[in-house]
Amino acid sequence: MQLYNFAYLDEHTKRMIRRAILKAVAIPGHQIPFASREMPLPYGWGTGGIQVTAAILGPDDVLKVIDQGADDTTNAVSIRRFFARTSSIRTTTRTPEASVIQTRHRIPETALRAGQIIVYQVPIPEPLYRLTPSRADAARMHALADYGAMHVRLYEDIARHGRVALAYDYPVMVNGRYLMSPSPIPAYDNPKLHMNPALQLFGAGREKRLYALPPYTEVRPLDFEDHPFDPHRADAACALCGAADTYLDELIADDTGRRRFICSDTDSCDSRREETGA
Amino acid sequence: MTLMAAERVTRRFGAVAALEDVSLAIGRREIVAIVGESGSGKSTLLNVMSGRLAPDAGRVMYDSGAGLAPIAAGGEAALLDLQRRRWGFVAQEPRLALRMNVSAGGNIGERLMVAGARNYGAIRAAAARWLETVEIDPARIDELPRGFSGGMLQRLQIAATLVTEPELVFMDEPTGGLDVSVQARILDLVRGLVRRLGVAVLLVTHDIGVARLLADRIVVMRQGRIVETGLADQVLDDPQHEYTQLLVASVLPA
Repeated sequence: MQLYNFAYLDEHTKRMIRRAILKAVAIPGHQIPFASREMPLPYGWGTGGIQVTAAILGPDDVLKVIDQGADDTTNAVSIRRFFARTSSIRTTTRTPEASVIQTRHRIPETALRAGQIIVYQVPIPEPLYRLTPSRADAARMHALADYGAMHVRLYEDIARHGRVALAYDYPVMVNGRYLMSPSPIPAYDNPKLHMNPALQLFGAGREKRLYALPPYTEVRPLDFEDHPFDPHRADAACALCGAADTYLDELIADDTGRRRFICSDTDSCDSRREETGA
Repeated sequence: MTLMAAERVTRRFGAVAALEDVSLAIGRREIVAIVGESGSGKSTLLNVMSGRLAPDAGRVMYDSGAGLAPIAAGGEAALLDLQRRRWGFVAQEPRLALRMNVSAGGNIGERLMVAGARNYGAIRAAAARWLETVEIDPARIDELPRGFSGGMLQRLQIAATLVTEPELVFMDEPTGGLDVSVQARILDLVRGLVRRLGVAVLLVTHDIGVARLLADRIVVMRQGRIVETGLADQVLDDPQHEYTQLLVASVLPA
């Protein structure tokens, strides 16, 4: 006997979420409200991403779930197993094999291709939240494309620190129209949002908002002409695979405080080690 | 040439008629002062003309270069564009108008960035230049306004407003709440700047002295109506309406 509907959510809910997704795709970067459901895990653990994934999964899909770039952390393992148990779809850790990738905090190093869908878990969908706590004010600013005040923040960072001191969740302009929070991915990943061949969906469960980037959408980080967007990357190579062009995690290796840098994307690291035999 | 005009504007707050059938025109580069006692409707008129308050009846017209047109005609976005690019607003209380958690340079730069400036060096240079213009040490460009005196805050607000060289600036009691010597410096500064930049000013004040010093033309309001209007010297030296006579006579001799 089947205990749960395919991919857990009932079909009415999926249809409601799909409608919101269609709207979101039609207006790139614009936040669409949706009736976020209670999920069998707490808000903040990826309920928005899970609902989007559940609404788009079909029987032939192959799912990959990553958390901070890794396939083997608790959140990633749990969500992958959740969908394997409630939908009998195939799962994978290989980026090229996946048709749907649910992610928290990273975009895979392996370039995505047309036909793939990447689903982001979003804690705070409103990029203007730090400027104004009022939803009404934020909605008005979006409606009027009144984003000049965001640059005051960047100005202050440059005046104080000599550069924009935003390492993650770096705000972007979508299609020259909407200001969007890219979810807490490192600023290093922002260029991957731009003109990406894959469909990118963003789900915020607690805040009950969805938004999307259709394939090949222009996505530009906010910056100044004379202080162009310049994301930070640790100046090191991965201790495991030797990659010098990936985003790295810094680990304290022993009790004398020695540090090691390793790839945050476990799949890209593993693949490279297989290729090179390292 | 008329830059802005209020045409038969009425605004009520409940049973109180704050503005009753008021018409007023401002020319390019003209400085017009609205004087009157508390509750005479002068601030309401300022708010209606600056688009912050919608009138119950009548309309406000502005010439953006293609003749007078109602400011409400283009919708909220067009009005915001007027307020951001062509107008400025100097409030009585600079602490409410400025961002107190943003540096002096950021405060001045905000209007430039809102207007589309995206060159950090140019924005910073403009901010430093304007600090100097309003007699604040440019070395304080990265300081938060928290540490500034009341007079400095008001000068910072003036710099942050004039930096985009607006065509028209609304001022609501710009020297209220400041001590007399500071008032005099600020008035002197404002007079010099608006003449140099060729800005039109609509100024609300209850201080006849401020009006005498700055204004080309004076409008006297009482109970939501304009009771007298004319050239500043003429209104102050030869007041016609009995209320104006009372106002002028009630100024303490210097």
